[in-house]
Amino acid sequence: MSEVVIKNMKKIYDGGVTAVHDVNLEIKDKEFIVLVGPSGCGKSTTLRMVAGLEEISGGELYIDGKLCNDVEPKDRDIAMVFQSYALYPHMTVYDNMAFALKLKKVPKDEIDKKVREAAEILGITQYLERKPKALSGGQRQRVAIGRAMVRDPKVFLMDEPLSNLDAKLRNQMRAEIIKLRQRINTTFMYVTHDQTEAMTLGDRIVIMKDGFVNQIGTPEEVFDKPVNLFVAGFIGMPVMNFFDGCKLLKEGDTYYAQIRNAKFKLDDFQQRALKQNGQQPCDIVAGIRPQHISVGEGELEATIEVNEMLGSEVNLHARSDKDEVVMVIPTVDLKTDVSMGAKVKFTTQPKLIQLFDKATGNNLIWYDKASAEANAPVCAKY
Amino acid sequence: MKKETTKSAKAIRTRNNVLIHILLAVLAFIWVFPVLWVIMTSFRAEKGSYVSTFFPKAFTLDNYIKLFTDTTILNFPKMFMNTLVIAIFSCLLSTFFVLSAAYCLSRMRFKMRKPYMNMAMILGLFPGFMSMVAVYFILKAVGLTEGSLIRLALILCYSGGAALGFQIAKGFFDTTPYAIDEAAMIDGCTRWQVFTKITLPLSKPIIIYTILTSFISPWVDFIFAKVICRANADQYTVAIGLWKMLEKEYIDNWYTCFAAGAVLISIPIAILFLKLQKYYVNGMTGAVKG
Repeated sequence: MSEVVIKNMKKIYDGGVTAVHDVNLEIKDKEFIVLVGPSGCGKSTTLRMVAGLEEISGGELYIDGKLCNDVEPKDRDIAMVFQSYALYPHMTVYDNMAFALKLKKVPKDEIDKKVREAAEILGITQYLERKPKALSGGQRQRVAIGRAMVRDPKVFLMDEPLSNLDAKLRNQMRAEIIKLRQRINTTFMYVTHDQTEAMTLGDRIVIMKDGFVNQIGTPEEVFDKPVNLFVAGFIGMPVMNFFDGCKLLKEGDTYYAQIRNAKFKLDDFQQRALKQNGQQPCDIVAGIRPQHISVGEGELEATIEVNEMLGSEVNLHARSDKDEVVMVIPTVDLKTDVSMGAKVKFTTQPKLIQLFDKATGNNLIWYDKASAEANAPVCAKY
Repeated sequence: MKKETTKSAKAIRTRNNVLIHILLAVLAFIWVFPVLWVIMTSFRAEKGSYVSTFFPKAFTLDNYIKLFTDTTILNFPKMFMNTLVIAIFSCLLSTFFVLSAAYCLSRMRFKMRKPYMNMAMILGLFPGFMSMVAVYFILKAVGLTEGSLIRLALILCYSGGAALGFQIAKGFFDTTPYAIDEAAMIDGCTRWQVFTKITLPLSKPIIIYTILTSFISPWVDFIFAKVICRANADQYTVAIGLWKMLEKEYIDNWYTCFAAGAVLISIPIAILFLKLQKYYVNGMTGAVKG
């Protein structure tokens, strides 16, 4: 059992800059949590506070039920993998991996067994006698992971472990981390700015911006049910299209979304949610994912400016009035002319339209006030 | 056309190289000349300080022998040992002080860090012997200016202020990625263990550099030794001894021995440098990669 509970944890630097505002997070035993966000959003700081490398300015951190605010890193029983690997350059791979166990005065033959076992899993047995200098980036990162593995830590922390690798190696290592996770079965906290890593690795994703947690949820939740504009724009490639100056209309008991000159009758669950919130008609920003647009027929019109053919699909950058619209269209059975300069009609399904309050940026359907006010925003449940 | 230009470029390069090497050779000769002269004088058979020839008329080892056997007036072996003991102990202490101070300033963040570094910088601009009189009175007040305690006094004197010279070592430590320290702390090291098990093994060049510099300064220092030893001939260091040899009453008999002594004191330093020069260069440039 190794739960991590973070209660109102804050980081305020000496200069008065607040890097992390009141983070609340409960990480279950053996859960894989990914912290993701743009540079400077406080994700690494949060991780480093859990590691004990940064002092906690306020709030509480419990690891395995024990208050750890003032516990030295070495006594927290955590392991960490750094972006720069941070291997000890003067030690061989074997010594690098055995270092923590030697400090703990673990018997020699047990150290040997554990190191060889970890090396076997990671496929670095033949490099055990080498110095880190003589290894490639991917091998070094394996050693860094191995060094953390041999300790059987309560919590496994990873700070952008794949950022220094090239794209191909990154994909490969990502798959290996998934496999690794099944083998070592412990609690993971993983920091990245790469949404692909976040989506593929995490059981739950914590999306941060400017020191605030914006949403905590499973990959499906943060993709399908973003609570605000930032989350909607951050997750998903290409970025979600936002249509400013749209309106939420109410006729009788029925809600409609007015996007430009097209009026969409919203889906049942949207009707229910809006009714439940007692939502009044208002100005909204409508969000539609590029993958959710279909061309050929529809109420909206755009002129194609750029056409990026990717084989199985084509990315279209189009202009519709003042909005730039990106569409990802499967090429199978594509009958419409999508060459540059062509005018196309397009539409989407009402249930795929995200409705954001223009004033607050919050999603009218998925924003959950109670959890947001408790600084642990999750999507609303209906 | 193209071929011609490359050819002439080569010619120019050769000409420049020749000129540069001639210049360097002249400079090297000027630099080496006094050294040669001292070495030759140390083997000279004629006595006295005034001679008309550059090359000695006869060579002998007597000067060296006299240095170590004639201990009635100036006890050179004793001075040599005094200096060696003082230099070794101040070297050990200073190295420890310098490396610790440099490590703290490189790795830890505390309120007075910046002010301390500025202060050290400004203090470093003043020559150390400005404090000589004050240092003497302080040592006298604590009773370290008599008998063999003088040696202790000198050791304290040489190593006490060493931590002010942390800059180069700090610069070196700064090049070691901090993530390595953090990794070690997470692996279970205390700060002290990080220092001894990670930082020091990674910093061999700068340790050697620090040892070298902190050995040399007490080894060749004259001013503090002179002020603190005063007339206690028992405690004299080599520098004072050599100076004595050039005084009016000794110069005629001891002049060539002085040269021999000068050669002898440069030997330990020369050996140290030759053995450690590889590290010395690395220490000056600084390099640990993660």
